[in-house]
Amino acid sequence: MADHHMTASYKERLARNRMGLWLFIISDAFVFIGLFVARVVLLPGQRPHLEQGLGLVVTTMLLVSSFFMNRAETELAHGNRAGFMRGTLITLVLGTIFLIGVVGIEWQIAPFGPADGAQGAIFYAMTGFHAFHVLTGVIFLAIVWNNGRKGHYSAEEHWAVEACAVYWHFIDVVWIFFYPALYLMGTPVL
Amino acid sequence: MNLLSLGLVHGLIAQIAGTIFGMALVMFFRVVAGLPAWEREPVFVGGAIVGAIAFMIGVGALNDWFKWARGEKTSDDISPDPDKPNWTRFFSVDYDHKVIGIQYGVTSVLLLGFGGIFAMLFRLELAEAGITILNSDIFELILGYSGPHLYNSLMSLHGIVMIASILLGVGAMSNYLVPMLIGANDMAFPRLNAFAFWINVPGAIILLSSLFLGGFDTGWVGYPPLSLRAPLGMQMFLLGVYIVGLSSISGAINVIVTVFRLRAPGMTMMRMPIFAWAALATAFIQLTATQLIGLSFQLTMLERLLGMGFFTPDVGGDPILYQHLFWFYSHPAVYVFILPGLGVISELLPVFTRKPLFGYRWVAYSSMGIALVGFFVWAHHMFSSGMSPYLRIPFMYATLLVAIPTGVKFFSWVGTLWRGKITTPTPMLFVLGSIVIFLMGGVTGPPLGTIATDLHLHDTWYVVGHFHDTMFGGYVFPFFAAIYYWFPKMTGRKYDERLGKLHFWLMFPAFMVMTLGQIFLGMLGMRRRVADYDPALGFDPTQLLITIAGFAIFISVIIALYNLIRSARKGEVAVGNVWNSRSPEWQIPNPAPLHNYAHPFHVVGQPYDYGLQDAPYVDMDPAGTPAHS
Amino acid sequence: MLHFVIVAVLVALSTFGLGSYFASGALLPEAASQQSLVIDWLFGVHGWLVAFFFSLIVVFLLYSVIVFRRRPGEQGDGAYITGNHQLEIIWTLIPLAIVLWLAVIGASTLADVERRDPNALVVDVYAAQWSWTFEYENGAITTDLVLPVNQQVLLRLHSNDVIHSFYVPQFRVKQDVLPGGPEFTRELRITPTQEGEFKIQCAELCGQLHYDMLADVMVVSEAEYLVWLDQAAGDCEGTDEQCGQRWANQFGCLACHSLDGSVILAPSWLGIAGSEEELTDGSTVLVDAEYLHRSIVDPNAQIVAGFQPNIMPQDFEERMTEEQIQQVIAFILSLGE
Repeated sequence: MADHHMTASYKERLARNRMGLWLFIISDAFVFIGLFVARVVLLPGQRPHLEQGLGLVVTTMLLVSSFFMNRAETELAHGNRAGFMRGTLITLVLGTIFLIGVVGIEWQIAPFGPADGAQGAIFYAMTGFHAFHVLTGVIFLAIVWNNGRKGHYSAEEHWAVEACAVYWHFIDVVWIFFYPALYLMGTPVL
Repeated sequence: MNLLSLGLVHGLIAQIAGTIFGMALVMFFRVVAGLPAWEREPVFVGGAIVGAIAFMIGVGALNDWFKWARGEKTSDDISPDPDKPNWTRFFSVDYDHKVIGIQYGVTSVLLLGFGGIFAMLFRLELAEAGITILNSDIFELILGYSGPHLYNSLMSLHGIVMIASILLGVGAMSNYLVPMLIGANDMAFPRLNAFAFWINVPGAIILLSSLFLGGFDTGWVGYPPLSLRAPLGMQMFLLGVYIVGLSSISGAINVIVTVFRLRAPGMTMMRMPIFAWAALATAFIQLTATQLIGLSFQLTMLERLLGMGFFTPDVGGDPILYQHLFWFYSHPAVYVFILPGLGVISELLPVFTRKPLFGYRWVAYSSMGIALVGFFVWAHHMFSSGMSPYLRIPFMYATLLVAIPTGVKFFSWVGTLWRGKITTPTPMLFVLGSIVIFLMGGVTGPPLGTIATDLHLHDTWYVVGHFHDTMFGGYVFPFFAAIYYWFPKMTGRKYDERLGKLHFWLMFPAFMVMTLGQIFLGMLGMRRRVADYDPALGFDPTQLLITIAGFAIFISVIIALYNLIRSARKGEVAVGNVWNSRSPEWQIPNPAPLHNYAHPFHVVGQPYDYGLQDAPYVDMDPAGTPAHS
Repeated sequence: MLHFVIVAVLVALSTFGLGSYFASGALLPEAASQQSLVIDWLFGVHGWLVAFFFSLIVVFLLYSVIVFRRRPGEQGDGAYITGNHQLEIIWTLIPLAIVLWLAVIGASTLADVERRDPNALVVDVYAAQWSWTFEYENGAITTDLVLPVNQQVLLRLHSNDVIHSFYVPQFRVKQDVLPGGPEFTRELRITPTQEGEFKIQCAELCGQLHYDMLADVMVVSEAEYLVWLDQAAGDCEGTDEQCGQRWANQFGCLACHSLDGSVILAPSWLGIAGSEEELTDGSTVLVDAEYLHRSIVDPNAQIVAGFQPNIMPQDFEERMTEEQIQQVIAFILSLGE
């Protein structure tokens, strides 16, 4: 049966996918808004006692990674495959460094554990929920990089790359709110 | 037909294996971290999470996404395998929105049955003062507990299982109806749609398992610190609800994109069948608010597992914070439950009055209005909670404002009935019943909205009565109306009209007795969620009456199920436009063909112009192509 | 037009009938506080509104279904009426006005309900799973709340475990009791106006025996109250066993430890002294004065097999004097074989 109206064009599907992705991001943002509210309620005027230098380093890593993510997508749109692959790989590496910095180092050296009062609860919950998103973003990047290596994306049709980039920028924006909330607002608890 | 080839069976086997594997995994990590391998709570929670993921892999809902991640091609053809009998489609991953809609519906009714059985058990307990049947040793033997704790667990589970059932019922209506009503052949994202349905199955299993893992005695609200002290069953409740919430969110994305992007040519927003508006408003609430019940439940789980101090004052937490996060979802959630039902009422009234829907535009906007206002009223559940006293006043204003868009709906329905040519087959009876019951829910609301009167009524049976009014009027009755109305479209056969009417005439008066009894007891000051009450208070006769009414409702639902199951197989064949409706889904054969519309129809008029000559809603064959091309 | 006249008459009749029933107060329990008078007035307003709007919709609905039903053999559709913007605006604005008015009187009644009397009598209320204790300013600690009539009482509500809620239906008000110390202490003001005995009920689900978390409140004359207060504050003058029984009652021990051998949530005290009990770790212990003392001040240290930890409050060492603890032990020992 010729169901030509059953399968939508790439352009139409792109429009649907974009709308779906943005709805997902709006939805997901509510989790972070909720965590932010919890932070303000439980630690008014205070902040967890954290290693400032490390915070600055990981934040820089994540911000710079967003720049490379943007480069990767733009290069692909202009038909520069090598540039796209390079940008994706750098983003992936920077994201991984961020994860190591937060979960691998900050979690270990923090002078409090998750069960140590409101600061422990807030710090580990906020960084934990965010790190989980970074982890999924890194996996997404790895998939895009691997499929890119196989030559799946073209300058015209690369929805997966675009989705990955939007998601990565979203994670970055969340951290732009979380970094000051954890490292800068208020006076240290300890 | 080999049962082992069904996706559902694969999924269940995978869930069992995954649960065991997950438990082993947690124990392994505990040993690595230098902890004793066995501790009940983390091991069970880990097992449940891995089990749920394993179910999704086993059932095959993730196959195409894995293929995509590996860079393999996926097929866009969603047609079923012609070698397999048709019924197997309902037990495996299928991408047709009609199949998914029916899968949602059947699962919803199953959960309705569980919730109903729980209710019947504790209704028997409440029928007279004194702890009676729940002290039976049978429960001790099967569940390991009995008495008041069992009452609390059954009452809590009744609440949450019914809510899950309603969410699935809403999913059933949205999925089955929205694409057909707006002239699409499927939802925007068929794979996400299948994912959203199937995730409910492990979610429901985990939720129900809480009964066997110590139960939980917090009510469905799960307020800490009580929820932090409850048995292991609490974790299964929190996790199960979280998983069902994932389904809500993914379903909502699908509905919104479908409504915005897949409408037939000529169908402007103001020409959509009104149910699509209701589904859209519902989806916006589900999309955003659900995340916060998810968050509050996750934080509770983490506090229980790791001792993180979110909600316990002794370790720096705040129990009121939980209530804010929880009600930010759970108040809008009741609009998720009722808006689709109100949409069904508005959709069916014109058909059975043979008149246009009175004030279409106002009805459409009132759905959006309710959804919007619904976000600013959550703290009215907390007037006596000890939250900031001054905050209560704005929440009182916002709460009372909900009456305005709700009132518009009632007036529009009355306007539609006025001077119609009214017939009352079963679906219409349920619609009329909905209006009366929902009205009772509506008028019992303002006394809960003004703070002074709420101080008396809060946490009494009055709230129970009010809530059951809104749920039966806003969901249960419209849901049955929708099932009866679209039954021929789903099965190609007619239901038994006499049994349908019997269902209504048993359920409606029984419900009235039940709810009036509840409201009456609440006004007198009977607290809700009590396993027992002082016989000196004289509540026994009313409680007995409520129990009898509850059983009558239970029986009426059994009659309905008998009717539907029997008619689906042996009912009279339903040909053509059974209800003489203007809506596009009735212009195609029964049951609806695989890809609903052979070619896209054009919308050329208003949806509800009954009584206007030569003003069709849709042109089913705009190009003049011969059928079956 | 005739249709509208008939409907209007029916709506008026129905409103009058239902409204006078609702507003009569027959549905509410006895009003026994100043606050309840204000609240019942607001209930009356609600009663009339409920009666009117319920009648309006139901009469229109039933009338339509009966009068505008399709008669046998009748063909065709109903009247072609798609809507009426003026009507829609009217039935948006009028309810809006009513609702705003309701919110205004809602706020003013709330102000009346929460009106403060600077000379209010202060009582500290301690809620625990599953008992109530009341502490008066003169140091009296009781398990029944005794209040003088026509004087405002300020209840300061404290919980040491989960959320409870203080509720007396005849007083019409309730307030949740939160755990967490001074920051979470909440207040409730009540001015009893009727002498008599009422029940305090926990209105927030608080676990297994929530339904049984009750206490008596007795409203008495000023003179009776003063006499009672003096007596209640006095030191216990009985034998150690008698005083121990009194403390066991006051501090809520008897909510879970029965005196007749039945098991509520904890071992019964009947015959426990001198017995050998098996503990959850498998070892056995002789129930003597030393064990009992440890079990009171550090209840989780040794749990008798078959019972759960974390049910008994762990702050008795702070809340009770050493003498009181010793008297409770004496009381328990007196229940031994």
